[in-house]
Amino acid sequence: MSIRESYRIDLEMFEGPLDLLLFLIKKDEVNIYDIPVAQITRNFLEFVEMAKELKLHTAGDFILMAATLMKIKARMLLPVEEGTDEEVEDPRSELVNMLLEYKRFKEAAFALGEREHQQRPYFYRQAGAPPEETSDPGGLLEDIKLYDIMLTFKYLLQNYEEPAMHAVELEEVSLSEQINFILTRLETDPKLRFSSLIERFQSRLVIVVTFLAILEMLRAQQIKVRQTKLFDDLIISRGSVIGQA
Amino acid sequence: MDKLELKNIVEALLIATPEPLTEARFQQSISEDTEVDIPLKDIIELLQEEYADSGRAFQVFEVAGGYQLVTRPEYESYVRKLFARSTKLRLSQAALETLAIVAYRQPVTRVEVDAIRGVNSDSPLRTLLERKLLEIRGRDDGPGRALLYRTSTEFLQYFGLQSIKDLPQLKEVDQLIPEEDQNLV
Repeated sequence: MSIRESYRIDLEMFEGPLDLLLFLIKKDEVNIYDIPVAQITRNFLEFVEMAKELKLHTAGDFILMAATLMKIKARMLLPVEEGTDEEVEDPRSELVNMLLEYKRFKEAAFALGEREHQQRPYFYRQAGAPPEETSDPGGLLEDIKLYDIMLTFKYLLQNYEEPAMHAVELEEVSLSEQINFILTRLETDPKLRFSSLIERFQSRLVIVVTFLAILEMLRAQQIKVRQTKLFDDLIISRGSVIGQA
Repeated sequence: MDKLELKNIVEALLIATPEPLTEARFQQSISEDTEVDIPLKDIIELLQEEYADSGRAFQVFEVAGGYQLVTRPEYESYVRKLFARSTKLRLSQAALETLAIVAYRQPVTRVEVDAIRGVNSDSPLRTLLERKLLEIRGRDDGPGRALLYRTSTEFLQYFGLQSIKDLPQLKEVDQLIPEEDQNLV
Protein backbone atom coordinates (compact mmCIF):
# COMPACT_ATOMS: atom_id res chain seq x y z
CA MET A 1 0.00 0.00 0.00
CA SER A 2 1.37 3.39 -0.87
CA ILE A 3 1.75 5.98 1.85
CA ARG A 4 -0.83 8.23 0.38
CA GLU A 5 -3.41 5.44 0.66
CA SER A 6 -2.26 4.25 4.06
CA TYR A 7 -2.31 7.76 5.50
CA ARG A 8 -5.19 9.09 3.44
CA ILE A 9 -3.33 12.29 3.17
CA ASP A 10 -4.74 15.15 1.31
CA LEU A 11 -2.15 17.28 -0.39
CA GLU A 12 -4.18 20.35 0.37
CA MET A 13 -3.35 19.79 4.02
CA PHE A 14 0.14 21.02 3.26
CA GLU A 15 1.07 24.62 2.82
CA GLY A 16 3.65 23.73 0.19
CA PRO A 17 6.54 21.46 -0.65
CA LEU A 18 8.57 22.42 2.44
CA ASP A 19 5.65 21.61 4.69
CA LEU A 20 5.23 18.23 2.98
CA LEU A 21 8.95 17.48 3.30
CA LEU A 22 8.88 18.27 7.01
CA PHE A 23 5.95 15.90 7.36
CA LEU A 24 7.75 13.09 5.51
CA ILE A 25 10.89 13.62 7.62
CA LYS A 26 8.89 13.46 10.84
CA LYS A 27 6.84 10.47 9.73
CA ASP A 28 9.93 8.40 8.94
CA GLU A 29 11.71 9.72 12.03
CA VAL A 30 14.79 10.57 10.05
CA ASN A 31 17.48 13.02 11.08
CA ILE A 32 16.94 16.32 9.33
CA TYR A 33 20.72 16.75 8.97
CA ASP A 34 21.08 13.36 7.34
CA ILE A 35 18.07 13.02 5.10
CA PRO A 36 17.91 9.73 3.18
CA VAL A 37 17.34 11.49 -0.11
CA ALA A 38 16.34 8.45 -2.17
CA GLN A 39 13.62 7.40 0.24
CA ILE A 40 12.25 10.91 0.82
CA THR A 41 12.28 11.64 -2.92
CA ARG A 42 10.31 8.48 -3.64
CA ASN A 43 7.65 9.41 -1.08
CA PHE A 44 7.59 13.01 -2.21
CA LEU A 45 7.01 12.04 -5.84
CA GLU A 46 3.91 10.08 -4.90
CA PHE A 47 2.42 13.29 -3.63
CA VAL A 48 3.46 15.20 -6.68
CA GLU A 49 1.57 12.74 -8.86
CA MET A 50 -1.47 13.51 -6.78
CA ALA A 51 -0.88 17.23 -7.13
CA LYS A 52 -0.92 16.85 -10.88
CA GLU A 53 -4.18 14.88 -10.76
CA LEU A 54 -5.77 17.50 -8.55
CA LYS A 55 -4.48 20.27 -10.79
CA LEU A 56 -3.63 22.24 -7.69
CA HIS A 57 -2.45 25.74 -8.39
CA THR A 58 0.57 24.98 -6.23
CA ALA A 59 1.48 21.91 -8.31
CA GLY A 60 4.32 23.88 -9.90
CA ASP A 61 5.97 24.47 -6.50
CA PHE A 62 5.80 20.74 -5.74
CA ILE A 63 7.24 19.79 -9.13
CA LEU A 64 10.09 22.26 -8.68
CA MET A 65 10.93 20.72 -5.32
CA ALA A 66 10.80 17.23 -6.85
CA ALA A 67 13.36 18.35 -9.42
CA THR A 68 15.56 19.79 -6.66
CA LEU A 69 15.38 16.52 -4.73
CA MET A 70 16.36 14.52 -7.80
CA LYS A 71 19.26 16.84 -8.46
CA ILE A 72 20.49 16.38 -4.89
CA LYS A 73 20.07 12.61 -5.21
CA ALA A 74 22.18 12.61 -8.36
CA ARG A 75 24.91 14.71 -6.75
CA MET A 76 25.03 12.38 -3.77
CA LEU A 77 25.83 9.50 -6.15
CA LEU A 78 28.87 11.25 -7.58
CA PRO A 79 32.10 10.08 -6.01
CA VAL A 80 33.83 12.71 -3.91
CA GLU A 81 37.07 13.62 -5.57
CA GLU A 82 39.94 12.66 -3.35
CA GLY A 83 43.08 14.61 -2.78
CA THR A 84 41.34 17.97 -2.86
CA ASP A 85 41.85 19.97 0.26
CA GLU A 86 38.74 22.05 0.07
CA GLU A 87 35.80 21.00 2.14
CA VAL A 88 33.16 19.42 -0.05
CA GLU A 89 29.75 20.76 0.79
CA ASP A 90 26.98 18.29 1.46
CA PRO A 91 24.58 18.66 -1.50
CA ARG A 92 21.70 18.59 0.97
CA SER A 93 22.80 21.52 3.12
CA GLU A 94 20.95 24.24 1.24
CA LEU A 95 17.71 22.30 1.43
CA VAL A 96 18.26 21.56 5.13
CA ASN A 97 18.70 25.27 5.85
CA MET A 98 15.50 26.07 4.00
CA LEU A 99 13.64 23.40 5.93
CA LEU A 100 14.92 24.64 9.28
CA GLU A 101 14.07 28.24 8.44
CA TYR A 102 10.57 27.26 7.36
CA LYS A 103 10.16 25.14 10.50
CA ARG A 104 10.96 28.14 12.73
CA PHE A 105 8.22 30.21 11.12
CA LYS A 106 5.76 27.33 11.09
CA GLU A 107 6.25 27.10 14.85
CA ALA A 108 5.94 30.88 15.21
CA ALA A 109 2.72 30.69 13.18
CA PHE A 110 1.42 28.01 15.52
CA ALA A 111 2.16 30.26 18.52
CA LEU A 112 0.30 33.14 16.82
CA GLY A 113 -2.66 30.83 16.22
CA GLU A 114 -2.72 30.02 19.95
CA ARG A 115 -2.67 33.71 20.81
CA GLU A 116 -5.46 34.34 18.34
CA HIS A 117 -7.48 31.69 20.12
CA GLN A 118 -6.75 33.20 23.56
CA GLN A 119 -7.84 36.63 22.36
CA ARG A 120 -11.08 35.45 20.81
CA PRO A 121 -13.34 35.93 23.85
CA TYR A 122 -12.37 39.59 24.23
CA PHE A 123 -14.11 42.28 22.23
CA TYR A 124 -12.72 45.79 22.04
CA ARG A 125 -14.89 48.78 22.63
CA GLN A 126 -15.42 50.05 19.10
CA ALA A 127 -15.68 53.78 19.15
CA GLY A 128 -15.63 55.36 15.72
CA ALA A 129 -13.46 58.39 15.15
CA PRO A 130 -15.53 61.60 15.22
CA PRO A 131 -16.58 62.89 11.79
CA GLU A 132 -14.05 65.06 10.06
CA GLU A 133 -14.31 68.73 10.84
CA THR A 134 -13.92 70.85 7.76
CA SER A 135 -12.14 73.59 9.68
CA ASP A 136 -9.35 71.22 10.54
CA PRO A 137 -7.51 70.18 7.43
CA GLY A 138 -5.03 68.08 9.39
CA GLY A 139 -7.61 65.66 10.72
CA LEU A 140 -7.17 62.24 12.21
CA LEU A 141 -7.60 60.43 8.95
CA GLU A 142 -4.57 61.64 7.15
CA ASP A 143 -2.91 58.35 7.72
CA ILE A 144 -4.54 56.44 4.90
CA LYS A 145 -2.58 53.67 3.37
CA LEU A 146 -1.55 53.16 -0.22
CA TYR A 147 -3.59 49.98 -0.25
CA ASP A 148 -6.73 51.93 0.78
CA ILE A 149 -6.21 54.35 -2.08
CA MET A 150 -5.87 51.50 -4.57
CA LEU A 151 -9.01 49.81 -3.23
CA THR A 152 -10.93 53.05 -3.42
CA PHE A 153 -9.84 53.61 -6.97
CA LYS A 154 -10.90 50.11 -7.97
CA TYR A 155 -14.25 50.74 -6.31
CA LEU A 156 -14.78 54.11 -7.98
CA LEU A 157 -13.86 52.67 -11.34
CA GLN A 158 -16.36 49.86 -10.93
CA ASN A 159 -19.11 52.38 -10.38
CA TYR A 160 -18.09 54.40 -13.35
CA GLU A 161 -20.12 53.85 -16.46
CA GLU A 162 -18.51 54.79 -19.67
CA PRO A 163 -20.93 56.96 -21.59
CA ALA A 164 -22.11 55.50 -24.87
CA MET A 165 -20.13 57.12 -27.65
CA HIS A 166 -20.65 57.18 -31.33
CA ALA A 167 -17.51 58.51 -32.85
CA VAL A 168 -14.33 56.79 -31.78
CA GLU A 169 -11.25 58.92 -31.47
CA LEU A 170 -7.95 58.23 -29.88
CA GLU A 171 -7.69 60.38 -26.83
CA GLU A 172 -4.43 62.06 -26.12
CA VAL A 173 -3.62 62.18 -22.46
CA SER A 174 -0.33 62.33 -20.64
CA LEU A 175 0.73 62.08 -17.04
CA SER A 176 2.30 65.53 -16.89
CA GLU A 177 -0.81 67.01 -18.47
CA GLN A 178 -2.97 65.50 -15.74
CA ILE A 179 -0.56 66.63 -13.02
CA ASN A 180 -0.87 70.19 -14.32
CA PHE A 181 -4.61 69.78 -14.51
CA ILE A 182 -4.79 68.71 -10.85
CA LEU A 183 -2.48 71.57 -9.78
CA THR A 184 -4.71 74.05 -11.61
CA ARG A 185 -7.84 72.65 -10.05
CA LEU A 186 -6.24 72.80 -6.59
CA GLU A 187 -5.75 76.53 -6.99
CA THR A 188 -9.49 77.13 -7.11
CA ASP A 189 -10.48 74.20 -4.92
CA PRO A 190 -8.02 73.51 -2.09
CA LYS A 191 -10.03 70.46 -1.02
CA LEU A 192 -10.53 68.74 -4.28
CA ARG A 193 -12.61 65.61 -4.39
CA PHE A 194 -11.52 62.81 -6.68
CA SER A 195 -15.10 62.32 -7.85
CA SER A 196 -15.44 65.94 -8.91
CA LEU A 197 -12.04 65.80 -10.55
CA ILE A 198 -13.07 63.00 -12.86
CA GLU A 199 -16.73 63.78 -13.32
CA ARG A 200 -16.39 65.32 -16.75
CA PHE A 201 -13.97 62.77 -18.14
CA GLN A 202 -15.26 60.70 -20.96
CA SER A 203 -13.12 57.62 -20.75
CA ARG A 204 -11.62 55.14 -18.38
CA LEU A 205 -8.18 55.80 -19.83
CA VAL A 206 -8.24 59.44 -18.77
CA ILE A 207 -9.42 58.46 -15.28
CA VAL A 208 -6.66 55.90 -14.94
CA VAL A 209 -4.02 58.40 -16.04
CA THR A 210 -5.45 60.96 -13.60
CA PHE A 211 -5.19 58.41 -10.82
CA LEU A 212 -1.59 57.67 -11.80
CA ALA A 213 -0.96 61.40 -11.66
CA ILE A 214 -2.28 61.43 -8.10
CA LEU A 215 0.03 58.59 -7.10
CA GLU A 216 2.96 60.34 -8.71
CA MET A 217 2.14 63.62 -6.95
CA LEU A 218 1.75 61.81 -3.63
CA ARG A 219 5.18 60.32 -4.09
CA ALA A 220 6.62 63.76 -4.82
CA GLN A 221 4.68 65.13 -1.80
CA GLN A 222 3.00 67.71 -4.00
CA ILE A 223 -0.37 66.68 -2.60
CA LYS A 224 -1.92 64.99 0.40
CA VAL A 225 -4.79 62.57 0.10
CA ARG A 226 -7.32 61.95 2.82
CA GLN A 227 -10.49 59.96 3.13
CA THR A 228 -13.12 59.70 5.86
CA LYS A 229 -13.59 55.96 5.52
CA LEU A 230 -12.67 53.14 3.21
CA PHE A 231 -14.18 53.46 -0.28
CA ASP A 232 -15.11 57.03 0.48
CA ASP A 233 -14.15 59.77 -1.88
CA LEU A 234 -10.50 60.80 -1.88
CA ILE A 235 -9.94 64.37 -0.76
CA ILE A 236 -6.91 65.94 -2.37
CA SER A 237 -5.10 68.93 -0.92
CA ARG A 238 -1.74 70.59 -1.45
CA GLY A 239 1.30 68.91 0.01
CA SER A 240 4.55 70.25 1.32
CA VAL A 241 6.14 70.62 -2.11
CA ILE A 242 4.66 73.43 -4.14
CA GLY A 243 4.59 73.52 -7.90
CA GLN A 244 5.85 71.11 -10.46
CA ALA A 245 8.37 68.59 -9.16
CA MET B 1 -7.33 68.34 40.13
CA ASP B 2 -8.24 65.42 42.37
CA LYS B 3 -7.79 61.79 41.59
CA LEU B 4 -11.50 61.11 41.27
CA GLU B 5 -11.89 63.70 38.55
CA LEU B 6 -8.86 62.38 36.70
CA LYS B 7 -10.26 58.88 36.88
CA ASN B 8 -13.48 60.12 35.28
CA ILE B 9 -11.57 61.90 32.55
CA VAL B 10 -9.61 58.75 31.70
CA GLU B 11 -12.84 56.76 31.69
CA ALA B 12 -14.38 59.23 29.25
CA LEU B 13 -11.32 59.02 27.01
CA LEU B 14 -11.46 55.22 27.09
CA ILE B 15 -15.12 55.24 26.08
CA ALA B 16 -14.51 57.61 23.18
CA THR B 17 -11.16 56.49 21.82
CA PRO B 18 -11.14 54.61 18.51
CA GLU B 19 -7.64 53.27 19.15
CA PRO B 20 -5.53 52.44 22.21
CA LEU B 21 -5.24 55.41 24.58
CA THR B 22 -1.55 56.14 25.00
CA GLU B 23 0.17 58.16 27.70
CA ALA B 24 0.95 60.80 25.04
CA ARG B 25 -2.66 61.18 23.94
CA PHE B 26 -3.78 61.30 27.56
CA GLN B 27 -1.30 64.11 28.28
CA GLN B 28 -2.49 65.90 25.14
CA SER B 29 -6.11 65.71 26.34
CA ILE B 30 -5.38 67.18 29.76
CA SER B 31 -2.66 69.60 28.68
CA GLU B 32 -4.71 72.62 29.74
CA ASP B 33 -4.96 71.38 33.31
CA THR B 34 -1.34 71.79 34.19
CA GLU B 35 -1.09 70.28 37.63
CA VAL B 36 -1.28 66.62 36.73
CA ASP B 37 1.63 64.48 37.73
CA ILE B 38 -0.06 61.11 38.04
CA PRO B 39 0.92 58.72 35.26
CA LEU B 40 -1.89 57.24 33.19
CA LYS B 41 -0.86 53.77 34.34
CA ASP B 42 -1.83 54.56 37.96
CA ILE B 43 -5.22 55.93 37.00
CA ILE B 44 -5.87 52.88 34.83
CA GLU B 45 -5.10 50.71 37.85
CA LEU B 46 -7.75 52.57 39.86
CA LEU B 47 -10.31 52.02 37.11
CA GLN B 48 -9.33 48.39 36.75
CA GLU B 49 -9.88 47.82 40.49
CA GLU B 50 -13.18 49.63 40.41
CA TYR B 51 -14.45 47.57 37.47
CA ALA B 52 -13.40 44.34 39.13
CA ASP B 53 -14.89 45.24 42.53
CA SER B 54 -18.21 46.34 41.12
CA GLY B 55 -18.41 43.35 38.77
CA ARG B 56 -18.54 45.25 35.51
CA ALA B 57 -18.81 43.35 32.23
CA PHE B 58 -15.68 45.00 30.87
CA GLN B 59 -12.07 45.58 31.80
CA VAL B 60 -9.09 47.59 30.62
CA PHE B 61 -6.61 45.90 28.28
CA GLU B 62 -3.03 47.02 27.89
CA VAL B 63 -2.41 46.79 24.16
CA ALA B 64 -0.33 48.32 21.36
CA GLY B 65 1.36 50.75 23.73
CA GLY B 66 -1.90 52.05 25.25
CA TYR B 67 -5.16 51.09 26.92
CA GLN B 68 -8.51 50.00 25.58
CA LEU B 69 -11.75 48.68 27.03
CA VAL B 70 -12.68 45.08 26.28
CA THR B 71 -15.63 42.92 27.26
CA ARG B 72 -15.02 40.16 29.80
CA PRO B 73 -14.56 36.67 28.33
CA GLU B 74 -17.63 35.32 30.20
CA TYR B 75 -19.85 37.28 27.85
CA GLU B 76 -18.20 36.10 24.66
CA SER B 77 -21.16 34.05 23.42
CA TYR B 78 -23.60 36.95 23.75
CA VAL B 79 -21.34 39.50 22.14
CA ARG B 80 -20.51 37.08 19.36
CA LYS B 81 -24.20 36.74 18.53
CA LEU B 82 -24.44 40.49 18.33
CA PHE B 83 -21.98 40.27 15.45
CA ALA B 84 -23.51 37.08 14.11
CA ARG B 85 -22.90 37.83 10.49
CA SER B 86 -19.68 39.73 10.63
CA THR B 87 -17.59 37.73 13.08
CA LYS B 88 -14.23 37.31 11.58
CA LEU B 89 -13.06 33.86 10.72
CA ARG B 90 -9.90 32.55 12.28
CA LEU B 91 -6.84 32.99 10.16
CA SER B 92 -5.80 30.14 7.88
CA GLN B 93 -2.52 28.31 8.29
CA ALA B 94 -1.16 30.13 5.21
CA ALA B 95 -2.17 33.50 6.66
CA LEU B 96 -0.60 32.73 10.05
CA GLU B 97 2.68 31.63 8.45
CA THR B 98 2.77 34.75 6.30
CA LEU B 99 1.96 36.94 9.29
CA ALA B 100 4.68 35.28 11.37
CA ILE B 101 7.29 35.91 8.68
CA VAL B 102 6.29 39.57 8.31
CA ALA B 103 6.13 40.07 12.08
CA TYR B 104 9.65 38.79 12.70
CA ARG B 105 11.31 40.01 9.52
CA GLN B 106 9.62 43.32 8.83
CA PRO B 107 9.85 45.29 6.66
CA VAL B 108 9.78 42.47 4.16
CA THR B 109 8.96 41.98 0.48
CA ARG B 110 6.64 39.38 -0.98
CA VAL B 111 9.59 37.59 -2.58
CA GLU B 112 11.24 37.12 0.82
CA VAL B 113 8.00 35.70 2.24
CA ASP B 114 7.66 33.35 -0.75
CA ALA B 115 11.25 32.16 -0.34
CA ILE B 116 10.75 31.14 3.27
CA ARG B 117 7.37 29.47 2.71
CA GLY B 118 8.41 27.84 -0.56
CA VAL B 119 5.11 28.86 -2.16
CA ASN B 120 3.52 31.96 -3.61
CA SER B 121 2.03 34.11 -0.83
CA ASP B 122 0.00 36.62 -2.84
CA SER B 123 -3.32 35.40 -1.61
CA PRO B 124 -2.58 35.33 2.16
CA LEU B 125 -0.89 38.75 1.87
CA ARG B 126 -4.02 40.15 0.24
CA THR B 127 -6.26 38.67 2.93
CA LEU B 128 -4.06 40.13 5.67
CA LEU B 129 -4.08 43.57 4.03
CA GLU B 130 -7.85 43.47 3.73
CA ARG B 131 -8.12 42.55 7.41
CA LYS B 132 -5.74 45.43 8.17
CA LEU B 133 -3.33 43.16 10.05
CA LEU B 134 -0.62 44.14 7.59
CA GLU B 135 0.11 47.37 5.82
CA ILE B 136 2.31 48.47 2.97
CA ARG B 137 5.04 50.81 4.05
CA GLY B 138 7.07 52.09 1.16
CA ARG B 139 9.22 50.24 -1.30
CA ASP B 140 12.44 48.33 -1.27
CA ASP B 141 15.50 50.12 -2.64
CA GLY B 142 16.54 47.05 -4.59
CA PRO B 143 15.75 46.30 -8.21
CA GLY B 144 12.05 46.24 -8.98
CA ARG B 145 11.31 48.49 -5.99
CA ALA B 146 9.12 45.80 -4.41
CA LEU B 147 6.45 46.79 -1.88
CA LEU B 148 7.44 46.41 1.76
CA TYR B 149 5.04 44.83 4.22
CA ARG B 150 4.80 45.52 7.96
CA THR B 151 2.44 44.62 10.75
CA SER B 152 -0.14 47.24 11.82
CA THR B 153 -1.55 48.50 15.11
CA GLU B 154 -4.54 46.24 14.40
CA PHE B 155 -2.11 43.32 14.40
CA LEU B 156 -1.07 44.17 17.97
CA GLN B 157 -4.71 44.52 19.01
CA TYR B 158 -5.76 41.29 17.31
CA PHE B 159 -3.13 39.28 19.16
CA GLY B 160 -3.30 41.30 22.39
CA LEU B 161 0.31 42.48 22.19
CA GLN B 162 1.85 45.59 23.72
CA SER B 163 4.46 45.83 21.00
CA ILE B 164 6.25 43.67 18.45
CA LYS B 165 8.87 42.97 21.12
CA ASP B 166 6.21 41.02 23.03
CA LEU B 167 6.32 38.26 20.45
CA PRO B 168 8.12 35.18 21.71
CA GLN B 169 11.67 34.85 20.46
CA LEU B 170 12.03 32.84 17.30
CA LYS B 171 13.54 29.52 18.24
CA GLU B 172 17.17 29.17 17.42
CA VAL B 173 17.95 26.43 14.94
CA ASP B 174 19.53 24.08 17.49
CA GLN B 175 16.38 24.22 19.62
CA LEU B 176 14.42 22.78 16.72
CA ILE B 177 16.39 19.56 16.79
CA PRO B 178 15.61 17.08 19.55
CA GLU B 179 18.52 16.19 21.88
CA GLU B 180 19.16 12.70 20.55
CA ASP B 181 19.40 13.97 16.97
CA GLN B 182 21.92 16.61 17.95
CA ASN B 183 24.32 13.89 18.95
CA LEU B 184 24.23 12.64 15.39
CA VAL B 185 25.38 15.93 13.98
